Amino acid sequence: MRVICACKELGISTVAVYSEADRNSLHVRFADEAVCIGPPRSSESYLNIPQVISAAEITNVDAIHPGYGFLSENANFAKVCEASEITFIGPKPEVIEMMGEKDRARREIRTAGLVTVPGSAGIVEGEEQLAKEAEKIGYPLILKAVAGGGGRGMRIVRKQNELLNAYETARSEAQQAFGNPDVYAEKFIEHPRHIEFQVLGDQYGKVIHLGERECSIQRRHQKLVEESPSPVLDPKRRKDLGAKIVKALEKIGYTNAGTVEFLMDEDGSLYFIEMNTRIQVEHPVTELVTGVDLIKAQIRIAAGERMEDATGEIHYSGHAIECRINAEDPDTFVPSAGRITTFQAPGGTGVRVDSAAYADAVIPPYYDSMIAKLIVKGRDRAEAIGRMKRALEMFVIEGIKTSIPLHRRILADPDFASGKFDTHFIERLLGGNGK
Amino acid sequence: MGEHNLEEFEYSRGDLRIRLRKPAQGTAVASRTVTAPEIIVPGALQPAAAPTGASVEARATEDLHLIKSPIVGTYYGSPSPGAEAFVKVGAHVDDGQTLCIVEAMKLMNEIDSDVSGEVMRIFAENGQPVEYGQPLFGIRPSRKK
Repeated sequence: MRVICACKELGISTVAVYSEADRNSLHVRFADEAVCIGPPRSSESYLNIPQVISAAEITNVDAIHPGYGFLSENANFAKVCEASEITFIGPKPEVIEMMGEKDRARREIRTAGLVTVPGSAGIVEGEEQLAKEAEKIGYPLILKAVAGGGGRGMRIVRKQNELLNAYETARSEAQQAFGNPDVYAEKFIEHPRHIEFQVLGDQYGKVIHLGERECSIQRRHQKLVEESPSPVLDPKRRKDLGAKIVKALEKIGYTNAGTVEFLMDEDGSLYFIEMNTRIQVEHPVTELVTGVDLIKAQIRIAAGERMEDATGEIHYSGHAIECRINAEDPDTFVPSAGRITTFQAPGGTGVRVDSAAYADAVIPPYYDSMIAKLIVKGRDRAEAIGRMKRALEMFVIEGIKTSIPLHRRILADPDFASGKFDTHFIERLLGGNGK
Repeated sequence: MGEHNLEEFEYSRGDLRIRLRKPAQGTAVASRTVTAPEIIVPGALQPAAAPTGASVEARATEDLHLIKSPIVGTYYGSPSPGAEAFVKVGAHVDDGQTLCIVEAMKLMNEIDSDVSGEVMRIFAENGQPVEYGQPLFGIRPSRKK
């Protein structure tokens, strides 16, 4: 829907692709044409590259906007688009590939001048190297499986006498889970904040950043609330880090939209962790505080326009907050699929709702549980918070359970209001039951 | 005329005189037992506006086994341009027999029937784009002996 909105305003006609489960969805309704590409299962429809490309061919499109999720960071898909002479609205396949390999991304970014989380150069091979790395990094540190994720093959080490045991356990767990026992070591940040920078690059080598977003309010690595600017980043640091990011990405030759993610230490140091080579869910937050339509900018950049024309004037003002409204039980987090009977979105000054849900819509069980994004802007953070509280109160969704009650708790929390929080905020709010 | 199964109709009133007659036709209704009442009107292909025609069409489609496209692509009724069509309406097909080609990304994909029976309807035209799940053929399956 977001892409369709931008296209309509640019006078570009659209083709929506959909699975059988999404036959009645809004993007199908509002696109100029629609092609069914498969059954409900993502692997057979939205992730099915031949079906997507075939749909693009029979409708004779010029470009594909991959959105977020699905094929948006699939370098192979970007290559197939190129080979099919369809413009992929995003970075080049080689860049997507590079940033997709986390280890390689960290190395390239370090070479380009940004600081990554202090850690071992590569795999920790043997006790001797382990001791050396621990000496260098300090405690607490974390051992992570090179081949893995999802918390498996990870061990946090707080004291030297725990080190060897942790190393051996992490290796055997990694071997079990991923067939590869190799681990690397990294400084462990107890109370990190998640801060990310929005970037854009045109096809003529120009890269800009559009400020940062703070996304520390997360549960199990899923963001719930995002805002811009971050309550803890001062203008000087924003300027310095922004300049470094731009320089690094110009060196890499980054084009189109992307987000550079950092973890902020308890002492305020910022370390690069990874880069997402796509537009992100929370992009509206940046749009509201800069006045830039990021999707239009993406399309224009892909069409060959220069940065100034693609973005128009950039004007920073105010503070924006976004709540991701999910179709799930606010206490148990069990997904809540079903028919929406009432969908009454809030409005008024400074309120924006991006959603494809509507009264009588059926939320299918096959996909992500997010059904709406509620974004507000205020002249400052206090006004934005007040506005979000008001908007959440007036957002009526019935027929399914939603996370609105949880969002209201978050916005009412004094630590949230004072800006004193980190990525463990939700855990603390839910009293340790948030796991 | 078809609605009431009339062969001839004459109307006169004052100066006005109308006479309608159906010409003798090759297609005889009697040649097979038909469960759904079919309207045989010379040369008339069930016009979409005719309500009776549409409902017969719907009823006829309901009885049919539909062969739907499993992929997105372009439909072709024959193996190559100018060649004879794989099947025509009225043809008998076997389970597994190729009915058409759907071309996707320069690859020709043969679509086979999954039943034996008679081809009653062909829904797509040569060169037409088709989507996943789009009906291509309506087959009346053979009854098992």
